[in-house]
Amino acid sequence: MSLLSIEGLRVGFRGANGGVIEAVRGVDFAIAPGEAVGIVGESGSGKSLSMLAVMRLLASPARATGGRVIFDGADLLQVGEARMRAVRGRDIAMVFQDPQSSLNPALTIGRQITDVVRAHQQVSAGQARRIAAEALERVGIRDAARRLDAYPHEFSGGMRQRALIAMAIACQPRLLIADEPTTALDVTVQAQIVDLIAELRRDLGIAVIFISHNLQLVSEIVDRVVVMYGGKVVEDGPVEAIELAPRHPYTRLLRACVPSLVGPVGPLVAIEGAPPRLGRMPAGCPFSPRCPRAVEPCASEMPEMVGEASRRVACWRPQ
Amino acid sequence: MNRFGPALRAIDWTGWLGAAIVICIVLAAVFAPLIAPYDPIALSVEDRLSAPDAAHWLGTDQAGRDVLSRIIFGARASLAVGIGAVTIGALLGVSAGLFAAYKGGLGEQITMRLVDGIASIPLLVWAIAIVGILGVGPLPVGPLVLPNEFKIVVLVGCLFSPVFARITYAVAKRIVGADYVKARYLQGASHWDIVLGDILPNCLSPIIVQATLLVAIGIVVEASISFVGLGVQPPAPSWGTMLSDARNAIYSGEWWLPVFPGLAISLTVIGFNLLGDAVRDLFDPRSEARTLVA
Amino acid sequence: MTGPLLSLRNVTKSFPQGGLVDRLLGRETRFVALDDVSLEIARGDVVGIVGESGSGKSTLANLAVGLARPSSGEVLLDGEPLSALMRDHGGPWRRRIQMVFQDSSSALNPRKTIGRCLTETLALRGVPRVERGQEALALLTLVGLGPEMAPRLPHELSGGQRQRVGLARALAMQPDLLIADEPVSSLDVSLQAQVINLLSRLTRELGLTLLFISHDLALVRTLCTRIIVMRKGEIVEQGACLDVLDQPTHPYTKLLIAAVPKGIAGRRSPGQPDAMRAAAATSQTRDEFHGAA
Repeated sequence: MSLLSIEGLRVGFRGANGGVIEAVRGVDFAIAPGEAVGIVGESGSGKSLSMLAVMRLLASPARATGGRVIFDGADLLQVGEARMRAVRGRDIAMVFQDPQSSLNPALTIGRQITDVVRAHQQVSAGQARRIAAEALERVGIRDAARRLDAYPHEFSGGMRQRALIAMAIACQPRLLIADEPTTALDVTVQAQIVDLIAELRRDLGIAVIFISHNLQLVSEIVDRVVVMYGGKVVEDGPVEAIELAPRHPYTRLLRACVPSLVGPVGPLVAIEGAPPRLGRMPAGCPFSPRCPRAVEPCASEMPEMVGEASRRVACWRPQ
Repeated sequence: MNRFGPALRAIDWTGWLGAAIVICIVLAAVFAPLIAPYDPIALSVEDRLSAPDAAHWLGTDQAGRDVLSRIIFGARASLAVGIGAVTIGALLGVSAGLFAAYKGGLGEQITMRLVDGIASIPLLVWAIAIVGILGVGPLPVGPLVLPNEFKIVVLVGCLFSPVFARITYAVAKRIVGADYVKARYLQGASHWDIVLGDILPNCLSPIIVQATLLVAIGIVVEASISFVGLGVQPPAPSWGTMLSDARNAIYSGEWWLPVFPGLAISLTVIGFNLLGDAVRDLFDPRSEARTLVA
Repeated sequence: MTGPLLSLRNVTKSFPQGGLVDRLLGRETRFVALDDVSLEIARGDVVGIVGESGSGKSTLANLAVGLARPSSGEVLLDGEPLSALMRDHGGPWRRRIQMVFQDSSSALNPRKTIGRCLTETLALRGVPRVERGQEALALLTLVGLGPEMAPRLPHELSGGQRQRVGLARALAMQPDLLIADEPVSSLDVSLQAQVINLLSRLTRELGLTLLFISHDLALVRTLCTRIIVMRKGEIVEQGACLDVLDQPTHPYTKLLIAAVPKGIAGRRSPGQPDAMRAAAATSQTRDEFHGAA
């Protein structure tokens, strides 16, 4: 039984002439309770948009134009706003890329966490404060009770991201969606935040969707990787399979073009060309214009997802 | 202009209405002698205070002058002050803003505090006070004799300059920090080239929007100054003086004397405001994004 | 020429901290971005400078090109002090150091076509008008772009293409020293490799001296022959790139290397996080508290 199941999700932008430009073009995957899934893709792949659509946080002119998001037996794209507000923060929490702009600079960290707690739980101010302090403690901020009264500017970037994660886990959600949570941070801090998310998942049993452009980073903590390109899922499978035996040429090249700290030094494997632009998607496989293995049907016809639920690939010539 | 093609289509009817009004008034001002049915200054005692009829569409005033002709000629004074003041204000303000943003340091501080000082002056009160002090007659400056309107244009222009200075400064300050400006600096491009070639063109859109909106304010200021008798001097026509002369008519029933110059002012101000809004929409990055996606 | 192309001698750069009131009351404190740094870069060197935010690596780049002036110490270009050269703003020395910037979206003037951007640069180098068009096309070819790019505006290009144009613009001045400040960090991974390979080829073909500033150790390893590791305004370790990365001596270098994501090889074993990282995390968290307090 899956915790969250996304079926045929589409997200589009309304264009100037009334047309709709699709940025997410039919995404399916599911996540089981306690599972950690990485969504890997470059900018424009639709990875962030599809998760914003799940949370119903898309801002105009973007909107979900099709598909279903099943959570607790209900389609989140159809439920009322009141129900959605209850789901957001309590059942599904989200952490964003930029900890600077995700916190209100005028309110203390404690106030911002207790606000979330009291929005979802009938607790007194004192209890809410205790829950907030526990959450801060949980994410590795020492002296948490005192830190509640600090303002965001008194925290470093890494601590702000920790505070945001504390806010996300304060109501013990069943699913945490982390959208590039470490991209704005230094590498050493990034390693700590990744450690923290792995630890929270292990200790609290929270399911995690980790969105990133960095396959190597995601592979360190997730069970399964969903690779997206041009608004579609191109490959989906267990992390070992994606890392050791990728079947889609894009996944393969994505691994190869990132240099390593070990082994011989040589020219990097480059993927020629650039990701497709919104509104100018090829008719067939979105990767076909850059794909070294592209053959006859690639450019004209979109390959279907093939394989069993746990290992799928959308390619005419998988490897 | 090609890249404005899609954006032009996005302008709604109010923008086109504004543009139409402004174009009509500008044409009326430029071709006043050809359009106006009568001489705006010639007295005609037998025609005095006639209500609007077939001969005088908008009636005549106490001296028998055709109101329509005076309004058409009056557009010249209004537009001259509105556009002239904005031009002077923009030249002064944009230069000050660019200087402060590019120069930085002490020069920046002094310039912008000076701008704050000028901006704290209540515009209308000072315009009236200064014209009052200088007198309404022509002002001899060396070999030149400047007409009273010129004084008003310069004065209102100076008072407009802080608005331009602040907008230019705010936008230019951001652009000065952009990498393409740093790159030009590192190439050894002259400061003049950097400011005029790279910084100014990227600040233009908010400046143009502001200019359009300020023309409307300039027209109101001209009307106000003329209304209190310090602007355009009789018998030359101006919407402000016409309103001023019509004060007593309100009580004696000659409604066309205040109503039509008043309408002319309102219509022009509305026209420039609608045009300003449309220009803003045209330059708005959101509308640009809209057309880019399409 | 035998001396170093670029040298920094005891360079310190500090910025005033605190508000106007503090300054007036004489309570001014200074944030030291670069602390008594000395280094030499020889002709033909490809040097990587790595460090995290606040390490002073970007400050160093700005000082080296003359976008900022040192608080004390001296920057020398071919033995001549930069402070003296800078009195001649448009002088011929300018073309000798050029820079490639981090953010591809702000690196190009949005209102100038790619062709114009290159020809005006060539004009400053003194290329006669009739030759500028041809040379601009040659530059585009050099960085792997076609002549069809010339009439386009920056927003019509992808991030990777814009970064190449930024590189072409720098190369248009025929510099001796190219400083690239995080040139690929705003790019998608699939485009990073293109730009890195291009830089690598250009250093070999044109004999360019390159100062490559990055937070990505693996990229530095691919591209550079020398590496300088910086932390909090100081150089903590430097040497031949492969030596330093394979056998780091300074704990901070080891920490940086440990923090690089390693894919499934770096998987967290359930129950016990990587000991190296745990130690690193503790020390770092303590730093953050000190920094914030």
